[in-house]
Amino acid sequence: MRARLNKTWVLFSVWFAHMSAYRAEIVIWMLSGAIPLIMMAVWIGKARAAGGHTGGFNEQQFAAYFLAAWITQQLIVAWVAWELDYQIRQGHLSPKLLRPLDPMWEFFAGHYSERLVRLPFMLLIVFAGLLIVPGTRLTPDIWHVLLYTLSVTVAFFTRFLIAYCIGILAFWFDQATAIDDFYFVAAAFLTGAFAPLEFYPPALRAFIEWTPFPYLVYYPVRVLTGEAPGPEIARVFGVQLLWAAGFYALRSALWRRGLARYGAVGA
Amino acid sequence: MRLKRYIRVLGIFVRASISAQLEYRVNFAVNLFGSLLLAGGTLLGITILYSDGTPLGGWSYRESIVVVGLFTLVQGYIGAFLYPNLNKIGEEVRQGTMDFNLLKPVDAQFLISSRNINVFRLTDALVGAGLVIWAASGLENASSIGALLGLCLIVTALTIVYAVWFMLSMTAFWFVKVGNVTELFNGFFRAGAFPVSALPGWVRLVFTFLIPVAFVTTVPAEAIIGRWNAGSVLGSGVAAVLLLGVSRWFWTYAISKYTSASS
Repeated sequence: MRARLNKTWVLFSVWFAHMSAYRAEIVIWMLSGAIPLIMMAVWIGKARAAGGHTGGFNEQQFAAYFLAAWITQQLIVAWVAWELDYQIRQGHLSPKLLRPLDPMWEFFAGHYSERLVRLPFMLLIVFAGLLIVPGTRLTPDIWHVLLYTLSVTVAFFTRFLIAYCIGILAFWFDQATAIDDFYFVAAAFLTGAFAPLEFYPPALRAFIEWTPFPYLVYYPVRVLTGEAPGPEIARVFGVQLLWAAGFYALRSALWRRGLARYGAVGA
Repeated sequence: MRLKRYIRVLGIFVRASISAQLEYRVNFAVNLFGSLLLAGGTLLGITILYSDGTPLGGWSYRESIVVVGLFTLVQGYIGAFLYPNLNKIGEEVRQGTMDFNLLKPVDAQFLISSRNINVFRLTDALVGAGLVIWAASGLENASSIGALLGLCLIVTALTIVYAVWFMLSMTAFWFVKVGNVTELFNGFFRAGAFPVSALPGWVRLVFTFLIPVAFVTTVPAEAIIGRWNAGSVLGSGVAAVLLLGVSRWFWTYAISKYTSASS
């Protein structure tokens, strides 16, 4: 047990050091994911034009929703599809397979420790956002922050596994990253980063509810801003865990089949 | 005479790019699907923003779709012409292969801006142009003069995008490690999917003067829907000439500081 803890610690601290070296790049990536911030401006403009509020949201509620959506989007980012695709096609995966550890955990440690590098700049942007729209309350109390931390962790793991499944497809064909691009476009409009789901046409919303997308941004945001009542929070956790477990099983099945096909380029 | 030579060189680049990419024909289907997904998503977004029946920043639903079309068109332009060329600058500076570009008997800026064309990404431009034509055909105030002016303004818009993208990618001469700096543009350009008047107060000023997104989609769209004003048309032209001049100056400055990789 102790040896295992020690290994985990080494893995994370090495990756944290690696990611800290790329902090300037990370800040640029953070700013490139600005959709929720732009949508915040557009929806606030709409609320103002309508005389203070639209669809049950006023300026401050839009600000809280989209700031929370931006944080959430920042915390669930995963590029493992690209990394896996590259390593499979270039044969860099081969040495990783010789280690007594599933390569997924190394990618996971990289992603997870990168969140720590993001944190200071994230707090800065949120603070600026709260100053720009006076009277905004991001979250009611510390309990919601703790519940949100759990919820967003599961959301991140789900997104990571989705990206991992897409990356594994590189064992079969060379357009895996194009599929991740499709995912990216779909997620921009279906996770709730574009608008609170209340504004979606009912039929479309009913469909979205059956996909993992709203459990990646929309529902964690509701947990943080305190909009979700107790029973909803419990339901959200249940569904989130189901999606995470489902994608975990899918990734294990795909990994076994893909590995059998792996030709180890350059080995 | 010189111009003729440049056109001939450009023709060779285009032919070489096309023949290199025709090998991967599946890419065409993949990219077309991606373009339709992007346009569909952006349209869905506009539909949601209009679901309460009130106009967005004084623009009707159809008028906003002209903006969406231009946004998609510019994405295609970036993907087809800018990304495959300018985003290689960083790698070339790092490896020192930039030397070869500087030694060729054509202007080096022309060379590094036109060598590769990703023909398949033109699907975005096609889908975008289709959206603009479809939306404008249903508008009363759209006229042929407006369309012509719109076309000129699209040219100035693409010039602005080129100049900004080029300057961003040239930071690679100093910050070799920061290879993704053009992603900054991508992030902020998302605001170009909406008419700039939809943004509140000072945010609108930021996206007009600090980051010239307004000139890229809103101003050409105003001309197409027959609502242009002399101020923004003139502003667009001035911004294009100014930014192109500054980017040219920045380029000469950057290569004067370039010392190759191993020296």
